[in-house]
Amino acid sequence: MIGIAPAPPGYLPRSELDRLIAILRDEGRTVIGPIARDGAIVYDEVTSTSDLPAGWTDDQAPGRYRLSQTGSPRLFDFTVGPQGWKRYTQPPRVPTGTAVREDGSVRFEAAVPDPPRLAFLGVRACEIAAMLVQDRALAAGPFVDDDYRARRAAALVIAVQCTRAGSTCFCTSMGTGPEVTEGHDLVLTELDDGFLVEVGSQEGARLMQTLETDPALDTHRAAAAAGVASARATMAGQGVAAEGLPARLMDRLDSPRWIEVADRCLACANCTMVCPTCFCTSVGAVSDLDGMVSTTERHWDSCFNGDFAKVAGGNFRPRRQDRYRQWLTHKFATWHDQFGTSGCVGCGRCITWCPVGIDVREELAAIAPPYEAQLPPVARPPSLDNLVPLPLISVPPNVLAPAEREVDTIVAAVVGVGSETIDTFTLRLEPRDHAILDVSPGQFVMVHQPGFSPIPISVSRVADGLLWLTIRAAGPATQALVRVEPGAEVGLRGPLGEGWPLERAMGRDVVIVAGGIGLAPLRPVIDELLRRPEQFGSVLLAYGARTPQDRLYTGELDTWRRAGLEVSEIVDRAGAEWLGQVGVVTQLLDRRDWRSRDAVAFLCGPERMMTATVSALRTAGITRRRIFVSLERHMDCGIGICGHCQMGPFFVCRDGPVFSVSELGDLFGREGI
Amino acid sequence: MSPQEANRPRVGVVKLASCDGCQLTLLDLEDQLLPIAQRFELVEFPEATSRRSAGPYDVLLVEGSVSTPQQAEEIVHLRSRTQLLVTIGACATAGGIQALRNWADEPSWRAAVYPTPEYVGSLATSTPVSEHVQVDAELRGCPIDPGQLLELLTALRIGRRPQLSGESVCLECKRRGNVCVLVAGGQPCMGPLTQAGCGAICPAYGRACYACFGPREQANTESLHRWFGQERELIQVDRLFAGFNAWAPPFREPAGRAVAAAHPGEGADAPDR
Repeated sequence: MIGIAPAPPGYLPRSELDRLIAILRDEGRTVIGPIARDGAIVYDEVTSTSDLPAGWTDDQAPGRYRLSQTGSPRLFDFTVGPQGWKRYTQPPRVPTGTAVREDGSVRFEAAVPDPPRLAFLGVRACEIAAMLVQDRALAAGPFVDDDYRARRAAALVIAVQCTRAGSTCFCTSMGTGPEVTEGHDLVLTELDDGFLVEVGSQEGARLMQTLETDPALDTHRAAAAAGVASARATMAGQGVAAEGLPARLMDRLDSPRWIEVADRCLACANCTMVCPTCFCTSVGAVSDLDGMVSTTERHWDSCFNGDFAKVAGGNFRPRRQDRYRQWLTHKFATWHDQFGTSGCVGCGRCITWCPVGIDVREELAAIAPPYEAQLPPVARPPSLDNLVPLPLISVPPNVLAPAEREVDTIVAAVVGVGSETIDTFTLRLEPRDHAILDVSPGQFVMVHQPGFSPIPISVSRVADGLLWLTIRAAGPATQALVRVEPGAEVGLRGPLGEGWPLERAMGRDVVIVAGGIGLAPLRPVIDELLRRPEQFGSVLLAYGARTPQDRLYTGELDTWRRAGLEVSEIVDRAGAEWLGQVGVVTQLLDRRDWRSRDAVAFLCGPERMMTATVSALRTAGITRRRIFVSLERHMDCGIGICGHCQMGPFFVCRDGPVFSVSELGDLFGREGI
Repeated sequence: MSPQEANRPRVGVVKLASCDGCQLTLLDLEDQLLPIAQRFELVEFPEATSRRSAGPYDVLLVEGSVSTPQQAEEIVHLRSRTQLLVTIGACATAGGIQALRNWADEPSWRAAVYPTPEYVGSLATSTPVSEHVQVDAELRGCPIDPGQLLELLTALRIGRRPQLSGESVCLECKRRGNVCVLVAGGQPCMGPLTQAGCGAICPAYGRACYACFGPREQANTESLHRWFGQERELIQVDRLFAGFNAWAPPFREPAGRAVAAAHPGEGADAPDR
């Protein structure tokens, strides 16, 4: 690491390791290290070396873990147990804030991180790699998990080199071990009688001085190197073919193996719970009986859970095969797109702790075999994929720096509630801080009512210092929201996400296609087009709804027509009172004379309606790069750190919800994504 | 009467075929009982008061399975008297342990148990309330979890959806920091198939989960059954499913085999449901 005075390795007799623990404790740190408990090695507080698992070793296989006693004096003669260090850097439950109702108003207080000063003793190379991977997911911006960042910054990492490997270990093929090379303060290599001690940071160098180790001898260094080499040798032939894996895997989204593995997969989520990089969470609300004081709490969640990809209208990943594919492709493929590294560090926990012994190495080999296994060598296409080395995992410069963007909860008062349809209402809100009114068309806000989990709502207009939100009462949270009386207060976070790229439409004709409540996030586009009509060509609004009664903003449609918009409407079904067209929204496009092929299209509605519309527009000659869609996904945090809305290389909340159809590629409209 | 006490939702607690343990969970909410009584009017609650009510109810908590002809009539009547109907416990949501008789020759079991079997008016089956009337929400467990009951009442009061996850017990177990008794202990733990909500109590004390909360969403019964069957006799594996939730559809097939093995000739006569 840069800026560390090179310090020669030291030697610490085993009997002296207690001094290290004592120094750390004297400095006010709680030392967390391995202990043998309930038949496994777990990480918990250690107060002296007598707490460490002397002589214990582990035997691991798919779905099986056993400890045994060898009688050796060694303290670290095992590999990794069920718990990663994420229990301490990203605990299973973390309070995120409190909402208090008082005299008709509400107050929101964000939880202030107050991390314990911990020293992690016995961190393995794959586990350090996992921390560096989580740093990228949770602390590399633009938004940051403040609690995680504070915990990471407050923890000292004392690593231990692996001198043995288990049958489920495959760090060598993921490029993360067995040697500890970065991300540590000190690193120990256990020898017959003691430890080789090496420095990895300035803090480590300071500790090393305090520790007053003996100078290490060449024999110590040679023994340490031999131990690590032995671990490496054990792993030969038990890894995954990682080269080019992301592309291979994404080529196999239709592999029949997904169905076969789903026949064995329990969707029990154990793999994601023990994975040291899986970071997905959900926010829950805990309150008193009246909802006067409620706390929100973030807890570990998993993409294997049924609710994980659920929205009011359905579930994006209803089947086990969808969920297994989501997990494996994210971990080994799209993680690279999002974080510049694989999400797998090769620790093998998901293999050992799968109750039915599913081995990701086998699944990857079956689903995405190396190209040489797929094609005869002569026919093998030259591919850079096969030559590019794995990206090294190292800490990007911005990691563990404060967030580039903070999103505090702003209190807003409800000024009015207007009815749009029988179940859809528009709330007009006056925020106390007007910064939130700087909304680009297509962005959304997280709406927080005390006692409820925050929910994402698109902004449907900004006017006269008020934020307009059009909400369909689809579930209890939205029902409660549309029932609020004027004067009531709610919390807002935002504006969030990337909206419609209006600049791409400048000088061109604009086609707006909306389905049902999908008109709400498009109304700010219409407002903007009408505000500066000279900058755009002609505008067509094609609006489809289930019934005439389900149409939004009916009072405004004529205003828009008078202002020069061409507005066509169609409904799925209607009674005799409806004099307009009946059918699907694509009919409004089929019948048009498409002279303007360089038009830009903005689409929002049910995904099936959007895929049909994209086909119709492409037939009309509009390229995918100029068709933009606003996607609906389960958004829990709104800032790209909870994982719920992940879709291929994107987090829909942070990178979208508006995407061009070309950037979504073949993920758009695909089942189970 | 304070404003808080006016317009309190009328809550009833009723029982069908059950042991009353789930009702008692309400009494176990000790510290919360007074606040609950201030916010909900408990118009019927046999474990707490002999006062009876004919309804109507805003919320009815139903314990127990439908096991007699009278109960089958009563539940239809109760449904018509309440806005919301919530089943509490494994008996009400899945038929309970008494549903093991669903595979049996009921008259011969009755004769084996009772000295005067003709006094017992019993249906051939013990079935969940949802096989008879529409159910709005269910609390799982044998017995139910007091925290989930409080969550249900809080959600009713605030007007939000109760946060009752359909996830597996494994998530609670891992969040709690337990070592897996299946992988590290070799025990036949039903946690991966079982709906969370108990807080993974049994594995926290080193004991395998026995699925008292019943099957979770998308429970892959066949896969875990196959895995357990590698090192055990199949009858031992089948018996894991023949508990409080034996009649729950994902468990029904292995549970039926377990009953048939214990009572040769009876399991094959299982009612076709």
